[in-house]
Amino acid sequence: MAWLKAMDQQQLRAIEYRCIQEEQPFCTASCPIHVDVRAFMACLAKGNLREARRVLDRTMPFPEIVGRICDQPCYPFCKRGEIGEPLATAHLERFCVTNSPAVLKLPKLPAKGGTALIIGGGLSGMTAALDLARKGRKTTLITQASGLGGTLKTYTETVLPQKILTEAATLLEGYGVTLQMAVPLDPESIGSLRTGYDAVYIDFDEIKASKIPFPAGQLDPLTLALTQDSWFGGGGIPEGASSFSVIKQVEDGRRAALTIERFLQKVSLTAQREMEGACTTRMHTVTTGMPHLIQILPTDTVLGYTAAQAQQEAGRCIHCECMECVKQCVYLREYKEYPKTLIRKIYNNQSIVQGTRNANKMINSCSLCGQCTHICPHDFPVSNVCRTTRQEMVRVNHMPPSAHDFPLEDMRFSLSEFCALSRHQPGTEDSRFVFYPGCQLAGSAPESVKRTYRYLSDQLPGGVGIMLSCCGIPAHWAGEDALFAKTMDGFRSEIKRMGQPTVITACSSCLSVFKEFASEIEATSLWQVLDTLELPVQPDLLPRQSLTLHDPCTARHQDGLRASVRNLCRKLGLNIIEHNFNGTITDCCGYGGLMQFANPQLGAKAAVVKAQRSELDGLAYCAMCRDNLAAAGNRVAHLLDYIFPVFDAMEPLDRKNPGFSRRHENRSRLKQELLTTLWQEESVMAPPHRDIRLILTQEVQDLLGSRHILEEDVQKVIHHANCTGKYLVNPDNGRWLASYKPVRVTYWVEFEPMDQGYVVHNGYSHRMLLPEEKP
Amino acid sequence: MSTFSFIEATSWQCAGCRQPLKPTKVNVTYLNSVFTVELMACSQCGFILVPEHLAVGKMLEVEQLLEDK
Repeated sequence: MAWLKAMDQQQLRAIEYRCIQEEQPFCTASCPIHVDVRAFMACLAKGNLREARRVLDRTMPFPEIVGRICDQPCYPFCKRGEIGEPLATAHLERFCVTNSPAVLKLPKLPAKGGTALIIGGGLSGMTAALDLARKGRKTTLITQASGLGGTLKTYTETVLPQKILTEAATLLEGYGVTLQMAVPLDPESIGSLRTGYDAVYIDFDEIKASKIPFPAGQLDPLTLALTQDSWFGGGGIPEGASSFSVIKQVEDGRRAALTIERFLQKVSLTAQREMEGACTTRMHTVTTGMPHLIQILPTDTVLGYTAAQAQQEAGRCIHCECMECVKQCVYLREYKEYPKTLIRKIYNNQSIVQGTRNANKMINSCSLCGQCTHICPHDFPVSNVCRTTRQEMVRVNHMPPSAHDFPLEDMRFSLSEFCALSRHQPGTEDSRFVFYPGCQLAGSAPESVKRTYRYLSDQLPGGVGIMLSCCGIPAHWAGEDALFAKTMDGFRSEIKRMGQPTVITACSSCLSVFKEFASEIEATSLWQVLDTLELPVQPDLLPRQSLTLHDPCTARHQDGLRASVRNLCRKLGLNIIEHNFNGTITDCCGYGGLMQFANPQLGAKAAVVKAQRSELDGLAYCAMCRDNLAAAGNRVAHLLDYIFPVFDAMEPLDRKNPGFSRRHENRSRLKQELLTTLWQEESVMAPPHRDIRLILTQEVQDLLGSRHILEEDVQKVIHHANCTGKYLVNPDNGRWLASYKPVRVTYWVEFEPMDQGYVVHNGYSHRMLLPEEKP
Repeated sequence: MSTFSFIEATSWQCAGCRQPLKPTKVNVTYLNSVFTVELMACSQCGFILVPEHLAVGKMLEVEQLLEDK
């Protein structure tokens, strides 16, 4: 599998690692035994005491003990502390264990060889005994005291009833631990008791270091090994610590049990133990904008919380997670993924040899806009992964043919003789500059292209040529490397032919492509050029109200371009109010990455999300953003509408989305008109089907648009029917039904002749081939 | 392979042959898969009718399924 070569498991892991959504929350990381405090709080907040108790039972060795007296080392790490007091976790644990019976009884593994002796009955000795017994090791606990607990016995009856310690002893015996109480212990007896056991653990909470039969020396903090082989120790108050910590006892007992288990298995005592005990986390949680909530403490510390108080306090938990990219990205939200799970699905999809590749549409639905990467604290490259995957899908012939067919045909049309044009300024032989409006501006607002060209020709010295073309970004987005490379080659040779002029482009996508893939060619944005010139300001034609500016996603990394746009707005006297999701974190309108073609519903949603970033009428300077926001029902103008306004033009904010057919028409007509008016030349003859006059209601136009059927396709079908005489008729209503397959798609049109034209009633298409059709 | 039938009463007639359409077995293909289906077609010239509901329904569904294979 070639794709696997392109990204092997190791690379996958390296990329996955950048996504920190699955990192431990701050409370769990700082807890020496990693209690899932976040899940605990979620259950309590829902009032589900039983499930909250299950969370504690899963991790705490003696929940009835630890839950009552936990010293909550997580407290200072709680993210809620940034916006109020941290969660009162210890109080909530106590509420939970005092109000709910045990839910989980942790399983015991079958008995194995190896014996362990625990000397000292404090909480660390008890924990070590429990953990070892659960692992199937024959374990004996010996204490001088008459019962278990060590320092725990000093807690008052109200805080920790004696009954709880007795029950803990019963629990240990239940797991098969042999308990020996009231055994006199001194160095000599300890030395002799040790005989017959493979490993021994000293609980320093009960046994002073001086009582062991050799100099204790320094404890190894990772393994808790003492200076003599097979001796381990922990618990009590370690050197340098100021007070007794309950959770430290648990941590030591658990750590020692793990060491002894490894010791008995004769494996490394030290390998891969970094995540044991309190550790750091890469979790990233933003609390900005979250409400400050007052900490709820129990009215009476001994009686503890009421159920309502506990629920309210647990409800303050902010459930730390990252999701910063998902919060903003319509695509990740739609597929309910965060980058780590997304890339895993993509990897699995590409590993399928035979079977259905269910993630194809997901891979093709990303707008490749890079917003998530910019937001991510570790620059997770979602767009890069999606785009390179598309390249690989094309390479191995697994790209669904329908995904990008329409926009790639649209691109071919823009590059065809019907639309493409490059000329020096009339009357000149050289071009110091060439104006490159981009295919979408030519399609959306051809009049703006003409006015801008006239202005640039008048203002800039040295000749301003014009180039109507397409930069090839649709092919780049579609993973069509060969087509993209060919398009770039064509651009390069055309620029060379024109004498290497500086390219002035109105489209930030074109500019991003030229900068990345043709860096040897000098290219700049129209906005930066206009920013240096005197503008034809006409205040009477400007809107009175405030507008919000919508940066396009391809301007994300073009700071100078964005700054010039703002300068231009200021010079014009436009009242711009910026919304919060612009600039480097701006959204895509749905066109990026060809999202709106691979997934039309999602593309429409993306436009709505972008528009809704502000309640104000909008101002765009990308023709696709302008049209997609308009299509989503918003009032939005293009910056050129105000730089080069027309007196009798309709309100720029109310201009409709022209749709695919009109864009086609506009592009070819723009070439025609420029040729006729500026160079007194004729454009190429339009093919005969273009003369067919269509009569369409808005409803039919919208239907055809949504089905990606161009009016030119309809003309081809009707032309074909007329030429061949092959069509169906319905005698009931006089309508005709005909089909034609110009390239890969078969179009069907239902129509009727009327007034030297045809009323179009319906259109649909399929890609499946009928017997007489050739692939 | 079994034949899927999409025959239905239709008002459409072949304009060239002036014939009503009749159920006809045909092979439709997509991405190396062949399906025998029964569609309405002109018995004289063989012009096949693909009705809208079939094109945007079952046919589209199968096309997309095959594209992901």
